[in-house]
Amino acid sequence: MLDWLACVNHRLGTLPLSEAEALQVREELAAHLEDTYLSLRAQGVPESEAVRLTCDQVSSWQELRRDILSAKSEAFMQNRVSQLWIPGLVTLFSAYALLALMQFAGLRVMAFHPGEPRGIVLYFPWMLSLPLIGAIGAYLSRRAQATGWRVYLAASLPALALGVLFLLIFPLAFVIDPQVSMSIKGTALAAAMVNWVILPGFALCLGVALQSLRKMRVPRS
Amino acid sequence: MIRTELKRGTAELAILSVLEQQPLHGYEISRRIEQDSAGALRFTLAALYPLLYRMENRGWVRGEWGTSDNGRRRRCYKLLPRGRKMLAPLRAEWADLFRAMRRVAKVNHA
Repeated sequence: MLDWLACVNHRLGTLPLSEAEALQVREELAAHLEDTYLSLRAQGVPESEAVRLTCDQVSSWQELRRDILSAKSEAFMQNRVSQLWIPGLVTLFSAYALLALMQFAGLRVMAFHPGEPRGIVLYFPWMLSLPLIGAIGAYLSRRAQATGWRVYLAASLPALALGVLFLLIFPLAFVIDPQVSMSIKGTALAAAMVNWVILPGFALCLGVALQSLRKMRVPRS
Repeated sequence: MIRTELKRGTAELAILSVLEQQPLHGYEISRRIEQDSAGALRFTLAALYPLLYRMENRGWVRGEWGTSDNGRRRRCYKLLPRGRKMLAPLRAEWADLFRAMRRVAKVNHA
């Protein structure tokens, strides 16, 4: 009898999927071919004819490969939206809406070296609320079956978005303020990164870790 | 034999309907549909699996590896609540289409 898995491997070529997922597809297709072949043989079809009829199940392996990848990529897009973008946008908007509300309510800030490039301004109550927001983001992401880095990415999107924004704006400082020295600009960037990216990012990730602990303690019904 | 274009539209309803009765693996799904439709609907491997993967992504069915009656390792598909919910509107849609075709093309119900 033909090795149907080898046949599928040869004809389908490489699949740009995870190793486990690609193997699963190959094994499933091979199993289908094997069942078709065995059924034909059981009906008394001669071996060579059974092999031919089994192979006729797929007129174009290239087309099948394309259709499988298209079906799988649909899932990838859907997953990316539900596991990453929706929880990420929820954390982003809730974090900055809360900050805006606190500022509107006259939130007291903790300032280190105010007015200097290295100045850091800490919105302490806001920082304390970030683990909760991070945990909500992690919960939403995990509810959509996300795992690992994707959960952390979704939950820390508010900090990451600002980090990207700072890095994009930084080169503009050379155009707008050419007279200001590089060291001052670099210090200001580093301070902004600590203030708005690293510390909030850490607080958000702390929320993810706490949510993970809670998830481990609550057994699934 | 029903034309290919029309068959494509029936595929999801056919698969959901056979899975409503019991979980089946891919080959069994194609066999069951062929038997139940008296050979009018035939799913080749190339037509079946991309569709099953799509339906799985949408949360209509779930495939799980297990051992079949003959001791072979097979991926069995089970109808999920979301897929079950899709059955009623799909059936209603097809019933509307058949009614319309009977009126327009004077096709008699067999």
